[in-house]
Formats: sequence, structure tokens, C-alpha cells
Amino acid sequence: MSVALPVPVIQLLQVLTVALGAPWVTGLIAKAEARLQGRRGPRVLQPYYDLAKLCRKEALAPERASWFFLAAPVIAAAAYLTVPLLIPVLTTYGLPLGYMGDILGGGFLLALASFVVATAALETGSPYAQLGSSRAKTFSAITEPVVLFVVFTVALLTGTDLPYALAATVRSSAGQVIRPAHLLASAALFMVILLETGRIPVETHTGTSEFGMIEEARAFEHSGPYFALLTWGSMLKQLILFTILADVFLAPWGLASTRQPGAVLLAAAALLAKAAAIGVAVAVIDNLFAKLRLFKITEYASAAFLLAVMGVFTLYLGGG
Amino acid sequence: MNTAPGVYEGAASVIAALMLLVEFGMLRQALVRDQVRLYAAQSALLSVLAVVIAAGRDLPGLYALAALSAALKVAAVPLVLRRLLGVPADRDAPGVAGSYTLSPASAVLAGIGLAAFGFFAFGAFHLSGPAAPALALAIAGAMVFVAFGLMIVRRDVASQAVGFFTLENAISLAALVVAAGLPLIFETAFLFDLLVAVVVFGMLIRAHHARAESLSTADLTRLRG
Repeated sequence: MSVALPVPVIQLLQVLTVALGAPWVTGLIAKAEARLQGRRGPRVLQPYYDLAKLCRKEALAPERASWFFLAAPVIAAAAYLTVPLLIPVLTTYGLPLGYMGDILGGGFLLALASFVVATAALETGSPYAQLGSSRAKTFSAITEPVVLFVVFTVALLTGTDLPYALAATVRSSAGQVIRPAHLLASAALFMVILLETGRIPVETHTGTSEFGMIEEARAFEHSGPYFALLTWGSMLKQLILFTILADVFLAPWGLASTRQPGAVLLAAAALLAKAAAIGVAVAVIDNLFAKLRLFKITEYASAAFLLAVMGVFTLYLGGG
Repeated sequence: MNTAPGVYEGAASVIAALMLLVEFGMLRQALVRDQVRLYAAQSALLSVLAVVIAAGRDLPGLYALAALSAALKVAAVPLVLRRLLGVPADRDAPGVAGSYTLSPASAVLAGIGLAAFGFFAFGAFHLSGPAAPALALAIAGAMVFVAFGLMIVRRDVASQAVGFFTLENAISLAALVVAAGLPLIFETAFLFDLLVAVVVFGMLIRAHHARAESLSTADLTRLRG
């Protein structure tokens, strides 16, 4: 079979894989968590049903909220769907739109999404939504230096800050994997991902106490299809972050190096399998640790910062 | 673009980096029991590194050193420390109240500063032994300074003693890097020096505890002339 898929189709498939796979990964994590706790748990496909149900419901907005309140979920989802164009989701070779932005570009898009959601939460006047968005902004400011140092490590390792270049570097030899800089940066990134996806030890994403919420509280006032978009958005964000961790840092293997349909589909399956593996690891962490008190999060962030800074240090003397 | 170290150098550096991270873990831990546990973990990593170097560079003497060091520092010293502090292994020992002079997050940030100083100061020597990469020596330097930092920012004698013992781990790491082939007899002598230090520190801890009825050194401030 020598049919080669056109590049735009592959590019579209990158987005579709993330868009359609994200609820599955979320469902799988929920299932794994339930099994670890001795419950039977919801179906793996439950998030799809939830999203479909929300889409059929009526959408209400607070009386004083402006158009931005309703536009925010759409902008956020659009931002999340743009990120898969920039990172290696399915292929080892860069796709044309992949060079629109580097790692920082992807970071800006994720930050934009989080910013519009937080602003929409401010529009509502609801104290809990505002509490959540103010906390989310505070903690993302604390983790920002960590992300920057991870990017520095990538830049020092590859001489660029394109995610494709790092993935290629990691694939090039075993020495690139077992080097302190790479392992430290990956560990720091993983800690940031736990924080960004609202997981223990930072937040219980299934918690129902408003005072313990960070990310989850922001969508309190949204309803119907808009709430579905926000929920889907946080699933997308989770899968995007897992993809960055798996396809750029930890295991950039199994990506398609040709344009054969078979290779590309295999890459999509491999991505979902890798994301599922990370998801199960996250579920295990969820069950092993207790949630941190809110003001202990700075300690958690300082530990992640330590890892990222050490990663940069070790590169300076060569051989890191 | 940064060239990758070989797998052997990479593995050695990773173990050294893990030792440094454990050192930072001690900065954070409040309970003496956990600090002793981390000390044992750090010593175990040191033994693993010795085994890796022994296998990678064909230095059979290091196997013996690794075994001896593991027996002493992973098993004996933590046991003696626990006995001296009167902490049964299965019970939580309380942390010393007010032991932190800095909050854990600030202590880690200060530690990063100290580690940076040690790292670049030792790195400037550009010393690389035949056995391990120069990076490991720089990490050992960073560990020395963080261990000093641990002794400075904590106000209880037990943490200070553990800080001192990890200082010895850092020196051992540096010794492994620059002089892996050092005759076994010297290395063994250093190890037994550590035992002396453990006993002396144990006596001091007990004496201090008997006099001040606390492990905290806050009372000693009164002794200023």
C-alpha cells in the first residue's frame, strides 16, 4: 500500500485525535480511580454521554453577564484545539502549521484559554467562580517559572524551542534519555501537569467542597452547551498536556514517520495508549497521596522549580 | 546543540542528581524519623553509584566498598541514630517545634542558591576523574553546600547531626568521582571516622537533651557572652 495521506489531512487528524480521544482518556482515568478504590466506577465512555446530555440542555447566563461570558467557552475550546497543530501528536516530521508557534506559542494558547475562562468567571459575580479563577491565576503564576525553566532546558538541549526538535533529540540515542537534564525537566513538567489538571496532591477534581476547588470552580455559572464546552476544554487540556509529556519528553516513540494511513492510525492508537498509561499513573498518585492544604501548594511548586532549575544547571557544565 | 553524555556517564550523573534531590528532601522534612530515612536512602544511592562505577570502570575494590558502605550507612547508622534519639522505628517521632527558621518553600529557594554556588564553584575546577563525569563532582559540591544550609536553617540538634552525616555522603561522592581507585583501606578508614562522628553526635544530642529537656538549640542563644 503506497497511498500517502495529504499533509492537511494528517494535520486535521492530529486535531481530531485529541478532540475525540480526550473524553475517553478522562473516562479511563475515572474508571481506573474507581477500580483502585474498590468501586465499579462509571463506564469509560461516560464522559461522551455527559457531554451529549449537557449539549441538549438549556443554556442560562447570569443577568448582568455580557456577551463575553458566552464567548469564553468557545474561545477557550478554539485555543485548546489549536495547540495540537503545534506539537507532535501523530508524526515525527513537522507539519506545515507546526511551525506557526514553538513551545512558548503553545504555552500562550493554553494561557489564553485559562485567561478567558477566568475572566468569564469574574463576569458572573458568583463568589465561588471568582474564588476558583483567582486561585487558578495565582497558582499558574507560581508554576510559570517552572515551565520557563523546562523550556530553557529544552532550548539548551536542542538549540531550538520547537517541540519536534526535542522529540527528535530524545529519539536519537539512549544517552539523550538517561541524562539528568532530560529526566529532571520531565519530572518537573509532570509535577506542573498534575497541578494544571487539578489533580492530587494539589486539588481533588471530584471534590464537591467549594473551598477545596481551584480549576473546577471556575465553570460554576455556565450551563448547557457552554458548560459542555468548558468540560470538554478541560479534558482537551489534559490530553494536550499528556501528549506533550509523552510525545515530546518521555516516549516520543510510535509516531508515524511516513504519510501512510496505516502508520498514522497506528500513531493515533499509540498516542491514546501512552495517554492512558500516564492517566493510570496519575490515578495511582491520586490514591496514594492526600490532598495538600492550599498554602502548602507553594512547597509543591518550589519542589518542581528545584527540579527544573537543577535540569538547567546540569547542562551548563556539559555532560548533563 | 548539546551533545549527549554516554549512557554510563548519564546514569552516574542521574544517581548523583538523585542524591542531591534527597538532600533537598531533608530540608523539607519536619520529622526526625523521615530525615533518618532519607539519609538511609541517600546512602543507598551512593552504594548504587559505587556499584555502577565498579561495573562500568572495572574496579572490583569498589564492590567491597559499596557493600561496606551500605552495611554501615544504610543499616547501622540509621539504627544507631534511631536508638540514640529514642525513636522506635514503628512510631512517629514528633518534629521539634520551631525547628524551621525559614518556611520550607523559602528554605528550598535558599537551598537552590547555595546549590548554584557549590555547583559552579566545583564545576570551575574542571576536574573529571576517570570514573565519573565532572558533573557528578559539581553535584557533590552542591550537596556540600546544601548540607551546610540544612545545618544552618534548622534549630534542632537532630537535624543538624543528620546534616553533618550527609556532608560525609557528599564528600564520599566527590571522592568516588575524583579518586575511584583510592585504596580500599583509606576509604574504609573514612567510613569508620563516620562511626566516631555518629557516636560523638549521639553523646552531644543526649547531653543537650538531658540539660535543656529539648532537642531545640534555641536555648543555646542565651549562652552568648
